[in-house]
Amino acid sequence: MTRSSAAPAALHGAAGLIGRLLYGANVDRAAKARARIGLAIVVFSLVYGVIAARLLLYGLAADPAATRRSTASDAVATARPDILDRNGEVLATDVRTPSLFAEPRKIIDVDEAVELLTATLPDLDARELRERLSSRRGFIWLRREITSRQQADIHRLGIPGIGFLNENKRVYPNGAVVSHVIGHVNIDNQGIAGIEKWLDGRGLADLHLAGLATDRLQKPVELSIDLRVQHALREELLAARERYKVKVAAAGLVTDVRSGEVVAMVSVPDYDPNDPRQALDETRLNRLTTGVFELGSTFKALTVAMALDSGKATLSSTFDARAPLRYGRFEINDYHAQRRILSLPEVFTYSSNIGTARMALGQGIEAHKAFLRKMGQLERLRTELPESAEPLVPKNWAELNTVTIAFGHGIAVAPLQAVMAVGALMNGGRLIPPTFLKRSEAEAATLAKAVIKPETSMRMRYLMRLNAEKGSARRVDVPGYYVGGKTGTAEKVVNGHYSKTRLLTTFMAVLPSDEPRYLITIILDEPQPTPETKGFATSGWNAAPTAGRVVERIAPLLGLAPRFDLPPADRQILAVTSAIR
Amino acid sequence: MRLIHLFVIGVLLAAAAYVYQIKFDATLQAERLAKLRNDIRRERDAIATLRAEWAKLSNPGRIQGLAQRHLALQPLDVTQIDTLENLPARAPQTILPDIEDPIAAIIENEPDLPTGSASPAAGGMR
Repeated sequence: MTRSSAAPAALHGAAGLIGRLLYGANVDRAAKARARIGLAIVVFSLVYGVIAARLLLYGLAADPAATRRSTASDAVATARPDILDRNGEVLATDVRTPSLFAEPRKIIDVDEAVELLTATLPDLDARELRERLSSRRGFIWLRREITSRQQADIHRLGIPGIGFLNENKRVYPNGAVVSHVIGHVNIDNQGIAGIEKWLDGRGLADLHLAGLATDRLQKPVELSIDLRVQHALREELLAARERYKVKVAAAGLVTDVRSGEVVAMVSVPDYDPNDPRQALDETRLNRLTTGVFELGSTFKALTVAMALDSGKATLSSTFDARAPLRYGRFEINDYHAQRRILSLPEVFTYSSNIGTARMALGQGIEAHKAFLRKMGQLERLRTELPESAEPLVPKNWAELNTVTIAFGHGIAVAPLQAVMAVGALMNGGRLIPPTFLKRSEAEAATLAKAVIKPETSMRMRYLMRLNAEKGSARRVDVPGYYVGGKTGTAEKVVNGHYSKTRLLTTFMAVLPSDEPRYLITIILDEPQPTPETKGFATSGWNAAPTAGRVVERIAPLLGLAPRFDLPPADRQILAVTSAIR
Repeated sequence: MRLIHLFVIGVLLAAAAYVYQIKFDATLQAERLAKLRNDIRRERDAIATLRAEWAKLSNPGRIQGLAQRHLALQPLDVTQIDTLENLPARAPQTILPDIEDPIAAIIENEPDLPTGSASPAAGGMR
């Protein structure tokens, strides 16, 4: 016999044996009964075994629905994570507040309900309330976010069909101070601006829809903003608005050039996010990300860096600024006209339009365009904030465009964008996209893109410092912090012409110039000449001193120690250039 | 056979009683759990409210206003910041606490201390 035929035969034999035992005619009745009972016992114990095993499984994997019973009066508006500043101060948080609702179908005596409710909440409109309560709707909100005192009072009235639901209300303890960064939410706790909207875009909205985001256990979001610096900057900007009779707006930005973090961002007038209606006012928009401006001479820093980085110009190159530059019917003139041949540092410190225009022409249109593209000035800059603006770039870029863009006219960019580029000129030539979230230098290094040579960046630092020592930025020089800076005064376009009286003054200060950590930007939109500024309204007279005051206030907050033993910039320039050679 | 029946019935009753007890216990625990969760949430809400209130009370604008109104402090000046290295060296500790005549002890401990009286050595120098 082979093996393969043995197994079926044995199986057949065993089945036959059991069958014979249960049904066989020649088997003893008692034995048959015992066998049948035995079979029943086996079957039943199998069934119960399965039940027991299943129970055990249920016991091991706890059923979440049974243990998480939420009370019915909870959580209509969903919870949002807290927003903290870089030091852990609360910028936005959820507070649970009761809201009053009614179920008109269940109300027995509408008149009585109206009378009692208006007595407790005097600002409810009685007629409208009666109308709404008389409708046959199942559910209506009467008043969102009442105080717990009012809740107790209404509860005591005992009106049938009136109830409360606890809702999460978003509160911003710092009011208007950080408004443009964090944005605000609507009555249903959905973010509609700023970081709040960004949070929703990151999947929080989906959680809301699924009804899952009701708990407070979400991880808080840490911003790069430092509340103390933000407050100091805002105060100085408000003071500057008064002092220089700024007509339209004032804005300021403090960024960390090494990590791309925005440490403070203020644009006044701003709004109180606790009262979102203010945000609808157009004058209160955030000028630093949603506005685009012709930044004027601050752009010269980019032109000079381009010329130095290409190797076509050095710190000892000279540029002819003896006569205005003529272009068809246009004439390029200098504000601080010297009428002589200027060296490259002089072009920068006297802020010579003619000099920078010649510098850009020396590079050619294509190289100029490519450089600005590399510096991120020609495309929309996107950050966490949903609000952003497309830069206005000339469609047909001719030689004249290169000439004007060299000194910051004829191209309008968002200030944050320009700050990113100037930051790259300062930090050793790495273009780092700005962020409003906390970021380490190591993380920034992975995002950074090398755009200019480190040597060029060194030279730019000392040009900035030189400008604060001898040039147009003298009024920013706070002793001890080795501040450097570049002024910018742009004439605003009014009815298609540049206006001589409506100016946009900007200032970018770098702190400290020898190894830059922070870049401070001040923008004043339409400052007026005052006696204090001796009748001038240019950047060096208003934006620069404002930046100086900001530096004085925030440098100790940022942990920068003053140093008084640093050599003047021209000696540093000599040292740097000889070291590179 | 009867013995088995009795035994099984006994086991059944015991199991029923035991299951009932477990069920009762579980309900009790679940209720406690729900109550504790509720308490925790209420505490968290209270903490959040207090934190919000604290943030509001300690926000820099308010503190600045209070300081200006009630304190004679002024903003920090750059010249007021210095490093530890620039501090002058600490004066030598010459006064010992449990000596009866500390001034005499100083004069004895410090031979170079100029005093009015002429010591023999100083006299010799002249």
